[in-house]
Amino acid sequence: MSILLSEEQQAIATESTRVLEARVDLSRLLALVETTGEWDKRFWDTAVEQGWTAIGIPEAHGGIGLGLIELGLVAQACGAATAGAPFLTSGHGAVAALLGSDDAESRSLWLPRLADGSVTAAVAFAEGQQPLPASPTTIVCAGKLSGAKDGIPAGLAADLVLVWAFAGSEPCLGLVEGAHVVRTPIASFDNARLHADLAFAEVPIRVLATGDRAHALAHDVLARMAVVSAFEQVGGAEALMRTARDFALTRKAFGQPIGAFQSVKHRIAELYGLVEIARANCIHAASREGQPDFVEAAASARISATEAYDTAARDCIQIHGGIGVTWESGLHLHMRRARSLAIEQGNMLYWEDLLAERLTGFAA
Amino acid sequence: MSDLEAYRGRAIGWLDSVAASFGRAARLGLTEGDDLSLGRCYMAAKYEAGFAGINWPVEFGGQGLSPLHKVAFDTEEMRYGMPTGYFSISVGMPVPVLIRFGEDREWVQERVTRALRGEEIWCQLFSEPAAGSDLAGLRTRAVPDGNGWSLTGQKLWTSWAQYCDYGVIVARTDPAVAKHKGLTYFWVDMKAPGVEVRPIKLAGGDSHVNEVFFDEVKLTDAQRMSPVGGGFAVAMATLMIERYVATDSGGFGPHLDLFIDLAREIEVGGKAALEDGRVRSAIARNYAMRSGLEAITRRAMLMMEAGMEPGPEGSLNKLFSVRSRQKLSELAIDLQGNAGFAFDPHASVKEDWTTSWLNAPTGRIAGGADEMLLNTIAEKILGLPQDHRPDKGVPFNQIPA
Repeated sequence: MSILLSEEQQAIATESTRVLEARVDLSRLLALVETTGEWDKRFWDTAVEQGWTAIGIPEAHGGIGLGLIELGLVAQACGAATAGAPFLTSGHGAVAALLGSDDAESRSLWLPRLADGSVTAAVAFAEGQQPLPASPTTIVCAGKLSGAKDGIPAGLAADLVLVWAFAGSEPCLGLVEGAHVVRTPIASFDNARLHADLAFAEVPIRVLATGDRAHALAHDVLARMAVVSAFEQVGGAEALMRTARDFALTRKAFGQPIGAFQSVKHRIAELYGLVEIARANCIHAASREGQPDFVEAAASARISATEAYDTAARDCIQIHGGIGVTWESGLHLHMRRARSLAIEQGNMLYWEDLLAERLTGFAA
Repeated sequence: MSDLEAYRGRAIGWLDSVAASFGRAARLGLTEGDDLSLGRCYMAAKYEAGFAGINWPVEFGGQGLSPLHKVAFDTEEMRYGMPTGYFSISVGMPVPVLIRFGEDREWVQERVTRALRGEEIWCQLFSEPAAGSDLAGLRTRAVPDGNGWSLTGQKLWTSWAQYCDYGVIVARTDPAVAKHKGLTYFWVDMKAPGVEVRPIKLAGGDSHVNEVFFDEVKLTDAQRMSPVGGGFAVAMATLMIERYVATDSGGFGPHLDLFIDLAREIEVGGKAALEDGRVRSAIARNYAMRSGLEAITRRAMLMMEAGMEPGPEGSLNKLFSVRSRQKLSELAIDLQGNAGFAFDPHASVKEDWTTSWLNAPTGRIAGGADEMLLNTIAEKILGLPQDHRPDKGVPFNQIPA
């Protein structure tokens, strides 16, 4: 894939941005922050209606057969609007796992339903502070899964859970139906992400891959989701950079727009740089899907996008002064989302270590 | 394979064939004079091989190819450490400006060929003690003198002036109008009576920049390259002429691989430095930053190949890469503990972390200070207001000193 966007890809970016700008409602998003267990159902309806759930799924399975770049461009529009049900990214994770497995039956069963949005998925890899533990304590024995996964985004409501577990002496990747999962909601700083602790008590699991195959597939799924999240982070960071710019042009102090002061204008120019570096890394990573250097590219996208979004959240609020810290300004929605996205799909420490390992041969 | 990639392949083939004669190893231990002589031979060889003036018109000794071909060649050439530094300003800006604005075409043609072959070197006499980022504040003056002009003043930070045959210069011809309206652009013979060049020793120990004094130096009116009072526009055109240059995401310092090689030999607190989280974080962040800058460059090249105008994000390279080089160089020295005190003043900025660190500040000032780059991004790309300029529209001779 080229790192130059085609006309079709640019149209996806423009159209998803237009749809979300027309439908996003700040007051609804603010209300969601204070409610545990609720998510933006109107956004989800939009995602389904626009076919965003079907993007990465082959046409033979009811999807539209596009790739990581198109997923990324939609995620970028979602990020700009702090829109998004958490399923959008994790659904793509489940799709990637199904497509990477040999389980044709599960593919036929789930892909069409993931494509039409009638089924949602969560990805439960993390345990404790480890995004993808080498030795998961969640155990598969005689086709049943036992254990717990804490703090799983989308975990509270997903119909399917993709689980990273241990089966005997080797890792495995499998699907558990939501009905078998005991979920405990977490009151979090970004409630709309539906974070939950999941418990499995000898519940049925459909194993998709085991051993080295499962290991490679889980890493690939996480890297793909990380690229989608990185696009979402870029969308958020860019929106904040533009918001800061617009505010600096209109807000006056000491007889001139505050954007005429270098302390302000340079801060915004620095954000522009962080956003463009992260965006370039995201597009590059999407173009390296399936290549040997995909993990390095995904890590670079993730690291630079996390830095861009966190910095943009800090600086945009700072540039707004007092109004920036109010509830109604909504800037804290981005600040919250910047941090929740930074943790989902592996935190900065994880990606730095993984990238350093690929570059130096030394594991952390 | 695209035409461009085939061209790149031919460039690598030729560079490989001359690397032993002119490359990094051949230059080791040479005096500056001998290195310059070697550089002149390299430029002549490059000219004969058809890799000089790649994107210049054929009638001026160029190859008539696109800027992309030039960037492709320069990017490859950079890897060999060839002795091109003495000529890079010369063929980078003054000579292309001469092609564009020089009146006597026959004379211009001869100068261009000689410059491409490394026989003559041109410098760019812009900055002054009181005019750096604020170029239009310059004070060197040219006053009418018979049919020509008389030039008096001082220029500063002029690269390689001590070896130059000619220079292009901006001087004030009318102090009674607003500062950027009273300037005129000339070329000047650096061997003319009244020109004095004094090298300036820089913090890293070398002296490639100079102060240049002009004491009633005679210029004919044929040396004028702009309308009287129209020099600022030509100066801006000079700075814009190399819009597409080979970039280095390492900020023209050592590559990240060399940092990893260094860290591989070092222990921190009894364990390998490469296992230390601080070192790993620095490696990962540096890689991610470079990877983004390189993707921006690749995208710009692809856009140009497709006949599109690349985005403005290409301007980020210098701003981000040099700061990052400073930090990585500091960490590289830090990692070595007391062994890090040792310093070889002749080491290369591309290979030695201490030399890289000592010379890096220049990279954040020359060719547009960080602050000016940030202003440009803020104003030209983001549409933020210009800085308050108390001297705006004020006649130059009424601006308080």
